[in-house]
Order: sequence, then C-alpha cells, then structure tokens
Amino acid sequence: MKISDLLPLLPILLISGVVVLNLLIIAFYRNHLLTAALTGAGLIGACVSTVAVYSFAPRQVTHLIIIDGYSIFYMALVFAAGFVVTLLSYRYLELLEDDQEEYYVLLLLGTLGSSVIVASSHFASFFLGLEILSVSLYALIAYNRNDPLGIEAGVKYLVLAATSDAFLLFGIALIYADTGFLDFTQIAKSAGSGHVGLIIPGTGLLIVGLGFKLSLVPFHMWTPDVYEGAPTPITGFLASVSKGAVFALMLRYFTKVDIHTNNSLVLVFTVIAVASMFGGNLLALLQNHVKRVLAYSSIAHFGYLLTAFLASGSLAVTATSYYLVAYFVTILGAFGVIAALSGCRGEPDLLSSYRGLFWTRPMLGGVLAAMLLSLAGIPLTAGFVGKFYVMAAGIGSHLWFLVACITMSSVIGLFYYLRIISVMFSKIPEDFEETGLPDVSGIAAAGLALTVLTLFLVWLGIYPSSLIEVIHKMMSSCA
Amino acid sequence: MNTVFYVSALVAILSTVLVITRVNVVHALLYLIVSFFSLALIFFALGAPFVAALEIIIYAGAIMVLFVFVIMMLNLGQRSREEERLSLEPKMWIGPSLLAGVLFSELIYLIVYTGNTAVSSAVEITPKQVGIALFGPYAIGVELASMLLLAGLVGAYHLGAGRTGNSSSVTGDKT
Repeated sequence: MKISDLLPLLPILLISGVVVLNLLIIAFYRNHLLTAALTGAGLIGACVSTVAVYSFAPRQVTHLIIIDGYSIFYMALVFAAGFVVTLLSYRYLELLEDDQEEYYVLLLLGTLGSSVIVASSHFASFFLGLEILSVSLYALIAYNRNDPLGIEAGVKYLVLAATSDAFLLFGIALIYADTGFLDFTQIAKSAGSGHVGLIIPGTGLLIVGLGFKLSLVPFHMWTPDVYEGAPTPITGFLASVSKGAVFALMLRYFTKVDIHTNNSLVLVFTVIAVASMFGGNLLALLQNHVKRVLAYSSIAHFGYLLTAFLASGSLAVTATSYYLVAYFVTILGAFGVIAALSGCRGEPDLLSSYRGLFWTRPMLGGVLAAMLLSLAGIPLTAGFVGKFYVMAAGIGSHLWFLVACITMSSVIGLFYYLRIISVMFSKIPEDFEETGLPDVSGIAAAGLALTVLTLFLVWLGIYPSSLIEVIHKMMSSCA
Repeated sequence: MNTVFYVSALVAILSTVLVITRVNVVHALLYLIVSFFSLALIFFALGAPFVAALEIIIYAGAIMVLFVFVIMMLNLGQRSREEERLSLEPKMWIGPSLLAGVLFSELIYLIVYTGNTAVSSAVEITPKQVGIALFGPYAIGVELASMLLLAGLVGAYHLGAGRTGNSSSVTGDKT
C-alpha cells in the first residue's frame, strides 16, 4: 500500500474523518444541530468527492478495495441516501427524549460500511464492511430505548443477523478451502476452470447470508417486525442503503463468478425471485400497518430486481442500477412521509390514521401518494421506468416465466398500494380533531428532503435517459 | 498426525453442544472455555501458534473474564449465593476438566513428540509473518476493523447508558 493509493479512497477517508470529528465534538460539546449539520456536510462532501475520484478509475487499491465506475456510482448513491436519511432524522430526533448525537455517528458508520461493501473486491473487506453496517444498525434500530418495540426489533435483528453472518462466514470458508483465494477475480478464475467441489455448498451458504440481508423470501421473517420497531428514518435506511449495498456486491460477485454457466444456481435464484415476488405481495395484502406493508413491498421489489440480476448482458447491469436508484428515491420518500407525520404520541402506524390525510395535509399526502404510485409502477414515476427496464432485461434474456411472474404479482401489489391511497382520499372522519404536528425545528429539513425526492421521482419518470447515460458511462469503465 | 486435529475438533463440538444445553450459566461458561481451548489447539496443530495464543489470551482470557464479571454483578443476594455453592459441586467440574485433560495431553504430545505443526502439509506461520500481512496488503482491513470496534463501542455506550433523558450526567447516577 502506497501513499498514492490513499487518494482514490478519498470518499471513505472523508466519512471516517467526519466520524472521528463528530466523536470529538460530542465529547466536549453536545449540540444536536451542530452534529447533524456536520454529518450532512460530510455526506455531501463524500458524495462530491466521488466525482473527483472518478478520474482514477479503475484502480485497485491493495487487493481489498476496487475503485471503478461501478463502485463510484454506488458509493455516490449510498452517500446521497445517507444525506437524505440525515435530513429526515433531524426532526424525528428532536422529539426523542434522549441523547441525539450518537445517532449521527452510528449513521455515518453505517454509511461507511455500505460504501466499503460496494467497493470491495475481496471477501475480507466485504465482511468487514458488512459487520460495520450491521453493528451500527443494531444500535440504530434499538436507538429509542424507551420504546419496548424498538428494543425488541434491535434484539431480533442482532440474533438473526449474527446467525446469517455465521452462514456467510462458513460459505466464505468453504469457497476458500476449495479455491485457496478470497479475491473475487481469483475465485472466478478457479471457479471457471470447470471443476466442481466445495465451491457449490459454499456458494449456497453465501446465498443464505446474502438472502437474509436482502430479506428475500425464505429468509424474510425478521423484516416486518424490525421495520415496524425501528425509528422510521432508520427503517428507510435499512430498506434502501443496507439492502442496496449488499445487492450491488452480490451483482459484482456473481457477474465475476459467472452464474449463467451454472444451471443449479440459476434455478435457486429463480425460485427465490418468484417466492419473494409472490410472498411479499401476498403477505402485504392483509396488513393494516403501513410500515409493515412497506416492509413486505420491499421484499417483493427485491424479487423483481433478481429478474434483472438473472438476465445476462450489459442491459442487466443498467436495469438493476436504474431500478435501485428509483427504488431508493421511492422507499426513502415513503418512509420520509411517515417520519414527518410522527408526533409526540408516536408514529401513525395503522392505516386508519391516514384517513383523510390528503385533505388535512395535502403536501405530505400528495408526496406519499406519488411514492406509492411509483412503488406500484404507474407511468410518469421512476418506479414505472425501473420496472420497464427490468422487464426489458428479462425479455432480452428469454426469462419468460419470471417476467410473467412480475406482471402477475404487480397486479396483486397494486391492490394494497391503491388501498392506502384510497384511504388517504376518503372523507375526514366525524370525530377527527386537529392535533397538529408537534412544534419542533427541523420540519424544513424533512420538507426539503421530501421535495427533492418527489422532484427526482417525477424527473426520472419523465426523462429517464439522463440517468441511463450516467449509468452507461460509469459501467463502461467497470473492470 | 491428523488424529490430533480430529480429537480436538470432536472436543470442540462436544463442549459447544454442552454450552448450549446447560441450564446453569456458570457451567455453560466452563464448557465455553474448554471450547475455546480446543479451537486454540486446532490452530496450534495447523501451524498457527500465534493465533492459538491469541485465542486463549483474548477469548478464554479477556472476554471470559468480562462474562464472569457480568454474571457476578447480576447474581446478588443470599439465594444466588446458595445456588452458586450448589453449582460448584465437584461433579459439576468433572466434565469440563475431563475434556480439558484430553486437550492438555494432546498438547503435551504435540510438544514432546512432534515439531510445532502436527497436521501434515501444514506450514508454520510466525507472528512476524502475521504482522507483515496485517500491516502490508491488509492495512485497510485493520483500519476497517478499528471502525467496526468504534461502531460497537458507540452503540454499546448509547444502549447501556442510564435511562435518564439528558446527557452528561448519565454515567454519574449509576453508582
């Protein structure tokens, strides 16, 4: 490792620097606004620095980290999403009667872990990044210590994530035992030589570990409970950054170790994809709890995404990247509205508390409606174009069965998205009393974040080619 | 010489199963220590004496001491003292010491009759080589591990601090 290797790592170093700076400031002077502002500035700085780093790509920094167009694109996405979560969190934390500052340190560390995951080209750095992400998530999920539901969610995530990490580690160990390498490129080389050994059970265990993080169907049990119990901005973080980073890594690994040559792996992923689509959408149908509905919907969305993952060719990478950006914008917006609506008496959990929302709070109601329409994949939203690309990638690779499944399960999904929207548009109940949102600062930050997300949603829906061009440019430099 | 590996692997599995099935926490901890010892012996037999030493110092040493401290702090009062006396009956420590005895005789055998590496084809890795690898190609990994510990520390501080709402005095009111 040389000094010149440090420059391509600038975004990661910046985030680590802000973590340390924040810790020092908290030690001497606790101020919520200062910490939040510093966190936001750090995330924006890291996001901007990815542009500067682009001139170095592709660059292998030791054999742990690779800085190429692919990792730079996902790093920028992770930092931007982290910034949005920071904006959404400020008001939410003002309501919390507890220390607020540690939250930002943990959030930064979670973002750091995710950026390491997307840039890793080695199992050691992948696992370290994953652990940084998980350990900060344990504490973030249980951050509100006065909420028994939050503590329960934190413990549930801790136990299940530790179990899935054991599967992941055992899988990595088996792959190492077979090939003698932890490096993705080297593993791909020895896997490509055609011999069949421990790498098959190893990959199977790897899929279990990754499937847990992505909450794909046989491994999804924890998702609704944890999403319900976690603080809402963190639920958004879990649904977007944590899943997106692991998916980006999975795409990188399985593109290198070409899965299309292995029929049994393709079959496994097909079964998981179909089960996630139908499982997520069917389980969401009868839920009355909005955060749980969104949790199940995120399970289904990763089922759709697996279709593009299974499709081969350059269209697959474009489709997944576009879909992930659209999904990040949408799910962060949806959870952002729930976070903005929560007041002193807790969060608006049940569907009934959204009755007449469009008439009492037209702005928030409108944003939530737009986000839900995008999740359902209605034209003029980002979700529609994303789904269109996924279907196009699927058809291009003749995955007819999966494409048919997407269509069918999307129709099922439409029901529960539209049910929430119809409740929002229904008459204000007779006994409704205007309570008003609690008067704390930070509503402007949340409002700004939601406005930007909505604009992005519509922009990506109407004019997708701008983002597609960026994705093409970034992925072409992918080593 | 692979027998050494298989015997200690068997001890590792047996003691870990016993950790899970014990009702009494102190008994479970005794078996957990034996489990760490057997893992250390496996590392030693595979030609990694440095990792074996770390396994004993860090896991069986430092982490177990923390565990015992926590249990001691939780077990207060006359009733638990009575339980503790019952839990330290001679027949309770026969199992762990038997397993530890097996490991000990294996270690003696390894040191006296063979070189440091017992498993054929294993190459001994010295502490110096470990250090060169950690601060050479894996330097980023070491730094990332420090961030991981930081995340654990900050999270544990937040979740473990007193239940009072406001900052600064949270550590003071626990005494």
